[in-house]
Amino acid sequence: MSKYVIRRVVQAIPVLFGITIVVYLILLLAPGGPTARFANNPRVTSEDREAFKKAWGLDQPPLIQYCRWMGLCNPDKGGNVLGVLPPPDAFIGNTGWPQFLPTPISGGTNGVLHGDFGVSIETGEDVGARIGRAALPTFILVGLAFIIWVFIALVIGVNAALRRYSIFDQAATVFAYVGYAMPTFWLGIMLIFTFGGPGLNILPVSGMTNTRASPPFGSDAYWTYFGDHTINALLDIGRHLILPVFTLVVVNIAGDSRFIRASMLEALGQDYVRTAKAKGLPGRVVTFKHALRNALLPVVTNIGLEIPFLFTGAIVTETIFSWPGIGSLTIGATRAFDYPTLMGVLLITSFLVVLANLLADIVYAFVDPRIKY
Amino acid sequence: MTEPKVVAGVGVPPPPEILLDVRNLKTHFHVMDGTVPAVDGISFSLPRGETLGIVGESGSGKSVTALTIMRLLDIPPAEIVEGEIWFDGKEILSMPIDRMRRIRGNDMAMIFQEPLTSLNPVFTVGDQIAEQVETHRKVRRKEAWDRAIQSLKLVGIPSPERRVKQYPHEMSGGMRQRVMIAMALSCEPKLLIADEPTTALDVTIQAQILELLKEIQDRTDSALLLITHDLGVVAEMVENVVVMYAGQIVEEGSVDQVLMTPRAPYTMGLLASIPNVHKRGDRLSVIKGVVPSPFNLPPACRFEPRCPYAWDLCRREPPELVAAGGRGQRARCLLHTPAGESRRRDLLEAVETLVDVPAQQEAAAEAAGA
Repeated sequence: MSKYVIRRVVQAIPVLFGITIVVYLILLLAPGGPTARFANNPRVTSEDREAFKKAWGLDQPPLIQYCRWMGLCNPDKGGNVLGVLPPPDAFIGNTGWPQFLPTPISGGTNGVLHGDFGVSIETGEDVGARIGRAALPTFILVGLAFIIWVFIALVIGVNAALRRYSIFDQAATVFAYVGYAMPTFWLGIMLIFTFGGPGLNILPVSGMTNTRASPPFGSDAYWTYFGDHTINALLDIGRHLILPVFTLVVVNIAGDSRFIRASMLEALGQDYVRTAKAKGLPGRVVTFKHALRNALLPVVTNIGLEIPFLFTGAIVTETIFSWPGIGSLTIGATRAFDYPTLMGVLLITSFLVVLANLLADIVYAFVDPRIKY
Repeated sequence: MTEPKVVAGVGVPPPPEILLDVRNLKTHFHVMDGTVPAVDGISFSLPRGETLGIVGESGSGKSVTALTIMRLLDIPPAEIVEGEIWFDGKEILSMPIDRMRRIRGNDMAMIFQEPLTSLNPVFTVGDQIAEQVETHRKVRRKEAWDRAIQSLKLVGIPSPERRVKQYPHEMSGGMRQRVMIAMALSCEPKLLIADEPTTALDVTIQAQILELLKEIQDRTDSALLLITHDLGVVAEMVENVVVMYAGQIVEEGSVDQVLMTPRAPYTMGLLASIPNVHKRGDRLSVIKGVVPSPFNLPPACRFEPRCPYAWDLCRREPPELVAAGGRGQRARCLLHTPAGESRRRDLLEAVETLVDVPAQQEAAAEAAGA
């Protein structure tokens, strides 16, 4: 088992490396480029643009740019320097992230391999810090929604399978199709119209906290406020969570409940369920021990692969409800042609997808005795 | 002896020595294209400790019969249109499902055809046997687990203490079927139903499993209902046999009677189609035509379109199961009724006997060759 995990981790390294190339190529080939933000600005002359490019190293050939972004080489210091093996503490970089390439080899401490995703073109902040700040709100929003939708989808899916073609099953089917077909932005806007200012005006429709009552979320002042008024702060976040969580839950239950229903129906039709009945086991043992345990096997994989979503967030939902998470960050970075931020988000997301796949495979080996690594 | 007690809504219980008594059972399936009479009025009985084989080709209704007895069919699409099944002095079709559940796996156990898919892949074999013992015997986990080990030992699995902790996929096909048998035997059932227990196994393992079933049937006093399409298995394993065709019983009797002196043309055809090593190189003998569509059964005799001896009456008069040949042997064929008497005599004149069809064909083949 541990041998398998090590093998998979080692295998993941070239995959991740390939991802950096793909992420880089996609943005290189995308029309526009970081200077496109000035396209309609009459005050920015073409000399200004060239100066901007030079300042950000965008005048270098793509290979050098990639190399610098990755931190594999540092052209300012005369290219790739191969040195002697560094001491162990050289493996922790300035940012506190593990430093995969010790300084003497790359000739610098900048770049992805040193845990440094660069500086945002838009705000001048460290990309890693920006992403880190946006990750918590996304995790709170999507994490809560995820727990709720997986639980409800399980209850609906299993019951629909047990009472196939019943009124409940038909209703669940209709609900699933409606939920699946309903665009997130439409549902979000309808909720805002119904419960927000234009309608009943009983729920906040934007942001994560009441900015008039507390400092902006994530700032040091906020955490001081949070420490002093914990209950109020939590209630405030809770109120802000209701509509976006509801949106995410409705949209995601649809697919998952159908998946669980199909999986459960398949399990219920298996020979071993008939054997369990033939053994005279009570109905609930047949259903919940013999059928459900097997039905959950593909569900585990499916849910495992949804984990990266906890980080990437729900771009549309976050945008509609102005949730200060990764989704909003991504949209903002795209609009501002903020390439370093965008590449950082894409890279971490890809990394999490690889990790989630690995995790799903490992968990699968625990729940299915037939899988041996 | 006291008067037999009449249960409300159903008939008179069979005498106590009869363990299983199936009376005029009709199980139909309601599907999109219409109704399939999978089992269409069959009756048979099985005394305690005895063996009975049900033989027929695919779709003849033999497995549905077994599943109806176990009450394992989904209703709908299945419907038990008519009939009674008496088991151990009680009518089980009218029984609440909860009481039936206590009989299943306890007094009446079943072995299925495909041991790999019939065992749950995510639980150890010990767990799967022990849970059955726990359910019916109300014993502690530990005791049930010991019982599981004993059962595995009983069916000849070496080092059962180790095997009991294994998962089905860690075992060979023959081993898995032994586990299925161990599971079925774990509560010492009065009736063991084996539905094609050796079909999914290779030939050498088949012989071992049959040997085991026979040995266990001899050792315990459980009755065995063996369902198979294999006449060789029947010849080795059972005392009495029922031959099914298109949902009906076409012939019944002792194994010797049915295999040596078949009286129903279908049974004759079935026996003639067994490949014979002495006839190597000849074409295999087959029953002409195909099994009729269950949606469109022949109006009278269901075998008539394929029967070499059929005549016009066979298309008008549905045959009943009538006494034919030896003691207790019965066949569903008009040849054995008074109405078929003259036809039978004509046929007997034409061929020397109706019995030895293979020899007849052999003779014909030789004559043709000469």
